[in-house]
Amino acid sequence: MGNFDAFEQGFASPNGNGRLPNGHGSPKERLSVEPERKFSAPAYTEIRTRRCNAKAAAESKQASSSSYHPEKKAHMNGHASATREQGSSTKPNQAEGKLSPEKEHYQKTSFEEVPMHTACLTYLGFYLLMILGYINQLLFVPKVATEKDREGYVALYDAFESFYSRYVYRRIKDCWNRPICSVPGDELTLKDRVTDDYGWSFKFTGTETRCLNLGSYNYLGFAAATGRCADESEERARDSGLAYCSSRCELGNNAQLDELEKLTARYFGVEDAIVFGMGFATNALNLPSLLGPNCMVVSDEKNHASIILGLRLSGATIKVFKHNNMRDLERVLRDGICQGNAKNGGKPWSKVMIIVEGIFSMEGSIVRLPEVVALKKKYKAYLYLDEAHSVGAMGSHGRGVTDYYKVDPKDVDILMGTFTKSFGSAGGYLAGSKKLIDFLRTNSHAHCYAGSISPPIAQQILTSMKTIMGEDGTETGRNKIMQLARNTRYFRRRLAQLGVITYGHEDSPVVPMLVYLFSKIGAVVRTLTTRHIAVVGAGFPATPIMEGRIRFCLSAAHTKEQLDYALEVIDETADDLGLKYSRKPRDPNPIEY
Amino acid sequence: MFNLKQLATHLYRQYALITCINMLEPWERKLINGFFLVMLALVFFSSYWYLPNYLQNLLQVLTPPAWSGQTENVAYVAQKMGTS
Repeated sequence: MGNFDAFEQGFASPNGNGRLPNGHGSPKERLSVEPERKFSAPAYTEIRTRRCNAKAAAESKQASSSSYHPEKKAHMNGHASATREQGSSTKPNQAEGKLSPEKEHYQKTSFEEVPMHTACLTYLGFYLLMILGYINQLLFVPKVATEKDREGYVALYDAFESFYSRYVYRRIKDCWNRPICSVPGDELTLKDRVTDDYGWSFKFTGTETRCLNLGSYNYLGFAAATGRCADESEERARDSGLAYCSSRCELGNNAQLDELEKLTARYFGVEDAIVFGMGFATNALNLPSLLGPNCMVVSDEKNHASIILGLRLSGATIKVFKHNNMRDLERVLRDGICQGNAKNGGKPWSKVMIIVEGIFSMEGSIVRLPEVVALKKKYKAYLYLDEAHSVGAMGSHGRGVTDYYKVDPKDVDILMGTFTKSFGSAGGYLAGSKKLIDFLRTNSHAHCYAGSISPPIAQQILTSMKTIMGEDGTETGRNKIMQLARNTRYFRRRLAQLGVITYGHEDSPVVPMLVYLFSKIGAVVRTLTTRHIAVVGAGFPATPIMEGRIRFCLSAAHTKEQLDYALEVIDETADDLGLKYSRKPRDPNPIEY
Repeated sequence: MFNLKQLATHLYRQYALITCINMLEPWERKLINGFFLVMLALVFFSSYWYLPNYLQNLLQVLTPPAWSGQTENVAYVAQKMGTS
């Protein structure tokens, strides 16, 4: 998408240090911003909400349930560590442990169907945008990078992709790639920008907006500028520098990384582990070393791009099954094994591998691991589990979905995950048997050629992992895991009560809220930004055309006050923009935190 | 009065979201709004001007001849539909 971002990012000289472009700053500061916004489409125009004015007045009178606001320095007391009563952990679902895994899964997972008229309107709106885009392209020549002197070469930009990003995506481009200038913890600071030419280019106004952060994959809240992790990382940077500038096979190996690998293996309860400096490359470069042309891979249709890239590089035969559908997985597996390798005259496959993710980041669903493991054993396939989002976030010990389902981690042949999300660092790991890891140490491209992890980054992983395991001698890790689980259930239940459609499993901290229409993605993100909440929208290329969504990512750093504030604002926004699509019965009782 | 205004803005916002015109540039907005207005005007005009006549004829075609008492000249009805 972002082909042109580099060209188009304009810089304006900062004018004063005004707070906000939407009326919270003092009048004088606002005036100084005003002349820059004479065009009708600043990056964040407030969409006047119906109850906005009345509500604001009422709020100031009654000082409603939550006194939290990202602009104020509020006193927090909603952390689980503070509010926890004796022995009250998260209220478990009634279905827990009583039903078969399949029934339990259906009880906990919701994928509500789209209402018919919304589906039609979404498509119609999209056609309209495309037609207008083509008219636009016909009439105007954009002032962006064009290809010159390239006669005889293949076009640099794919025609449709460049059309789409210029004439459809550009209209709501201000909702993506937003620059921030603070640590993305429970709150973050957005750098305000405006656009004078409807999204072709942006200018910084010099102001900043403090927002509640519902968009970062900071599940356990280890992304913080202060605290133990930050201190130890800083210390390590002073001790050992920033980089070894060499790969693990050459000069980049050190005792710290060996310790990290041992700790990772111990964390997951497997024999050995190997770590890499980049999460995406862990998938994209290790899958080709594990698989070859005579292998069959059965992959979930919602798997991440890094897995798909890795599989394509490996040259294995890829078969796709419907998202989290065990019957379809079995059908695909059985057919594939029965028919054998068609390219090789129907001879048996040398390897059959099932690839699934722990938490699917776009759907918010959790893999049905017990059933996958049963199928894997039945058909004697290998299982590759990508726990990019679930590690740390799931299970009572934060060990991912294996911990959540109480599955023996040795039943999963290859455990993969990243350190980017829950550990607040960067990189990825593969964990499994000693034999597998030794094989990877000699064959993996990411191990042989990529630079090793930077010492402070590795230190962040080490410290946060030890905290989660409780090896630092405190309860911090367990509290964080519990806080996340509580936040997740509370937020999901409250959203369901509001009547918006959310996807996925009730324990998954990724909460996609379906808004369907392309225009509503932009409207919601902009409106929430004016109310000081930063969220992430996902539209067509990332999701099917019809399923535009807003993705909330919960964190252990959020307090109940913050979530209440967010829910209140989401409620108003959903009323105003018409997001309450759900036709399910709503829970009339107040939700317990 | 105030409520009515709020309702109107709410309805317009829904319309703007559904047709995506809240994302468009002003000239595109005018184009789309104009298009929908013209369409609406055409629908109203035709339903005022042609619909009553059509309905009458349709009724005449559909009613069994026995109801109107005497046997009607069927060719006449067809001719009438052709002229209107």
